[in-house]
Amino acid sequence: MVSQHGVQGVLGEDGIHVDMQHLKSGEVNLGTSIMAINFKDGVILGADSRTTTGAYIANRVTDKLTQVHDTIWCCRSGSAADTQAVADIVSYHLNMYGVVNNEAPSTQVAASLFQELCYENKDSLSAGIIIAGYDPRHGGQVYSIPLGGSLHKQSFAIGGSGSTYIYGYTDAHWKENMTEAEGIDFVRNSLQEAIKWDGSSGGVIRMVVLTKKGAVRHLYLPDTNYTGPGVTN
Amino acid sequence: MPGFDFSNYNRNAALHARGVPLPKATSTGTTIVGCIYDNGVVNCEKLHYIAPKIWCAGAGTAADTEFTTALISSNVELHSLSTGRDPRVITCMTMLKQHLFRYQGHIGAYLVVAGVDPTGVGLYTVHAHGSTDKLPYVTMGSGSLAAMSVFESMWQPDLNKEGAIALCAEAIKAGIFNDLGSGSNVDVCVIEKDKPTQLLRNYEKPNERGQKERNYRFPRGTTAWLNQKVISKEDMKKYVTIETLSGDDNLAAGEKMEVDV
Amino acid sequence: MGSPFDINGGACVAMVGKDCVAIACDLRLGMQALTISNNFPKIFNFAPSTYLGLTGLATDVNTVSDLFRYKVNMYRLREERHISPQTLANLVSSSLYEKRFGPFFVSPVLAGINQTTGKPFICGFDSIGCIDFAKDFIVSGTASDQLFGTCEGLWEPDLGAEDLFETISQALLSAVDRDALSGWGAQVYIIEKDKVTQRLLKGRQD
Repeated sequence: MVSQHGVQGVLGEDGIHVDMQHLKSGEVNLGTSIMAINFKDGVILGADSRTTTGAYIANRVTDKLTQVHDTIWCCRSGSAADTQAVADIVSYHLNMYGVVNNEAPSTQVAASLFQELCYENKDSLSAGIIIAGYDPRHGGQVYSIPLGGSLHKQSFAIGGSGSTYIYGYTDAHWKENMTEAEGIDFVRNSLQEAIKWDGSSGGVIRMVVLTKKGAVRHLYLPDTNYTGPGVTN
Repeated sequence: MPGFDFSNYNRNAALHARGVPLPKATSTGTTIVGCIYDNGVVNCEKLHYIAPKIWCAGAGTAADTEFTTALISSNVELHSLSTGRDPRVITCMTMLKQHLFRYQGHIGAYLVVAGVDPTGVGLYTVHAHGSTDKLPYVTMGSGSLAAMSVFESMWQPDLNKEGAIALCAEAIKAGIFNDLGSGSNVDVCVIEKDKPTQLLRNYEKPNERGQKERNYRFPRGTTAWLNQKVISKEDMKKYVTIETLSGDDNLAAGEKMEVDV
Repeated sequence: MGSPFDINGGACVAMVGKDCVAIACDLRLGMQALTISNNFPKIFNFAPSTYLGLTGLATDVNTVSDLFRYKVNMYRLREERHISPQTLANLVSSSLYEKRFGPFFVSPVLAGINQTTGKPFICGFDSIGCIDFAKDFIVSGTASDQLFGTCEGLWEPDLGAEDLFETISQALLSAVDRDALSGWGAQVYIIEKDKVTQRLLKGRQD
C-alpha cells in the first residue's frame, strides 16, 4: 500500500476504525488523572501533574488546569500539544467575547467553543477536556468533552487514563451539594487513588476552586500524603 | 513557513512505497539544558540567536532547529520593530509552538528557549509537536535524562550566576559522558537583566583531541595523474578584465558568517 | 531496494590547506553493482574559485547541479559579481531546506576561497540543507566511512598546495579502493587564490 500522510482511518465491515494510539507516536502525552465537580458554592477542578514521553516523565510538576477566562477553567488530558493549542484558541475567543460584549462569557459558551474545535478536528486531535466554570447566572457548571468531540453536562466528571481506576470510588462517594471542604476532600481522595494505581499519573495534586469570589488555587504534595499546603494564592 | 516545495514529495513517497528508505537527516545527538537563577538565565549547547536577550538551544533534526529558529528570530525582530518594544520570551515561545503545531511534529525541532525581557526571566521547552513547558530548570535531547538527573540531585532555588553556570555545565557533561549521541564541548550562554548577553563558546572542553604523534606526509609525486589543466588569473585576463579589490576586511563585512572554530 | 544514496555510488572529499583548498571526487556511475560509466564527474564550478561536489542519486546530482547553475547565473546577473563560497553555502542550504518534505537525495560538499578575504572555506550539507562547517575536511558519498578514516589519518593543518594534492588524492584513492560502489578514476581540484589546478588521477579500473 502506498503510504501517505493523512490516511488515518480504515474502513472495516463495522465502520471506520481510527487508531488513536498510533496517531502521533513519540509526542508528549498527558497520561492523566483529571476531574471537576460541582459543589454548593461553585466548582472544583483537580488534576495530577505528570507528563510523559513514553515512559520518561518529561515534567513532574505540570499544570494541567488551564484558565481560559476569569472563572472558566479546563482540565486537559491526551496530547499536550493538541490540548494546549485548543485551550489557547478558546482562550483567545473567550477574551474577545468578553471585550466585544462587555460581559463575561458563560461556561456553556466556553464548552461549545471547545466542542466545536474538538469535533471538527476529531481526526487529527487526541484531546479529552473537562470544562468547569462559574458564572453568576448559572452558578457552577461542569462539562466533559471526551475523544470524539461530544459534549456532556455533568454534575461531576472524571477523565484521563487514571480515571478508569476511580469510577467505582467516585460513584460510591459522590454527594450532591457538598461543602467546599467536603468537595476538596472528595477530589483529593479520588485523585490520590488514581495516582496510586495509574503509572501515567503522579506528582502533586493541583486544584482550582471557582466560586462567586473568583478562582483559588490549591496544592497538595505527596511529601505530606497530599494533606497540604492547600491554598497557594 | 511560507514556501515549502513538495515537488519531489510524490516521487519520494512512491520510491518509499517500493521499499526505498527515506533519507536520514542529520540529527543532533545532543544534550541541551537551561536553568534560571536570581536575575538571569543560563542556557547550554547548540545555541541559536533569536534576539539579543533571547537565545534558543536546539535538539532533534539539525536543519529544522536551524531554520525554525532563524525564521522565528526574523519574525521576532519585525514584531519588535513594529511594536517598538523589546521582544518577550513568551512571544517567541508562542510563535515557535504555533509554527511547530501547524506542522504536526513533521518539523523535528526540540528547543529550549531562554531569555530576559521587561517582565523578567523566562525559560521554556518547546517540543516538536508544539507542546510547551515552563520550569525553573529544563533538559532536552538524547542526553536529557542524564542531564536531568544532575539537576534533580543538585538544583537549589537560590542559585547565583556562578552556581547556575557550573550546574548547567555539569548537567551537559553528564549528557556528553553518559549518552553516545552527545559529544564534545560545552557552550554556555548567560543572559542577565541590564547586562549584555555573554556567549561562552567552548566554556569547557572535556574531550580535547591530543596532538598526532606521527604524520603521513607523502613525498611529492606519490600520486600518479594522467593529465592536468591549470586555470590561472593570467589565463583569465585573455578573456575578461580583472579588477583586484583591496583586502579591506570591511568590504567583506556583508559576507561575514558565523563559523565554528 | 537500497537507499537512494547508494544506488549509483560515488565519493567526494574536500580539505583545507594553507591559503588553499582542495576538492576531489571519483568518476564512477553505476546501477547497484553494475558500472555504467567511468566518466561521471561530481564536482561543478560556480565561480572562479568556488566548487560544489554532489554525491548521491545521479538523477538528483544532475538536477541539483543544473538548478544551482541557474541560480548562480541569476545571482551573477543581478549582482554583477561572482558568488562567494559563504553565500553559495547559504544558497545551497536554503534551497535544499525548501524541499524539506521531498528532498533531493544528494550530499553536497562545498570548497572555495573567498576572493575578498582570501580565506579558504569548506563545508558539507545533509540532504535537507543542514550546514556542517569544518576547519579540516568534509567527506560524502558511499565511501564516506572509509574517507573519514583516511582523512582523519592523513590530514594535517597548513599543508601547501602540492602537499595538499598528495594528501587528498591518497585519502580518496585509498578510500574508494575499499568501496565497491566508488572508484574508476578520480578528479582533483587544487584551489589557490589566483590559480586552480585540475588533475585527473590514475586509479584502479575495477
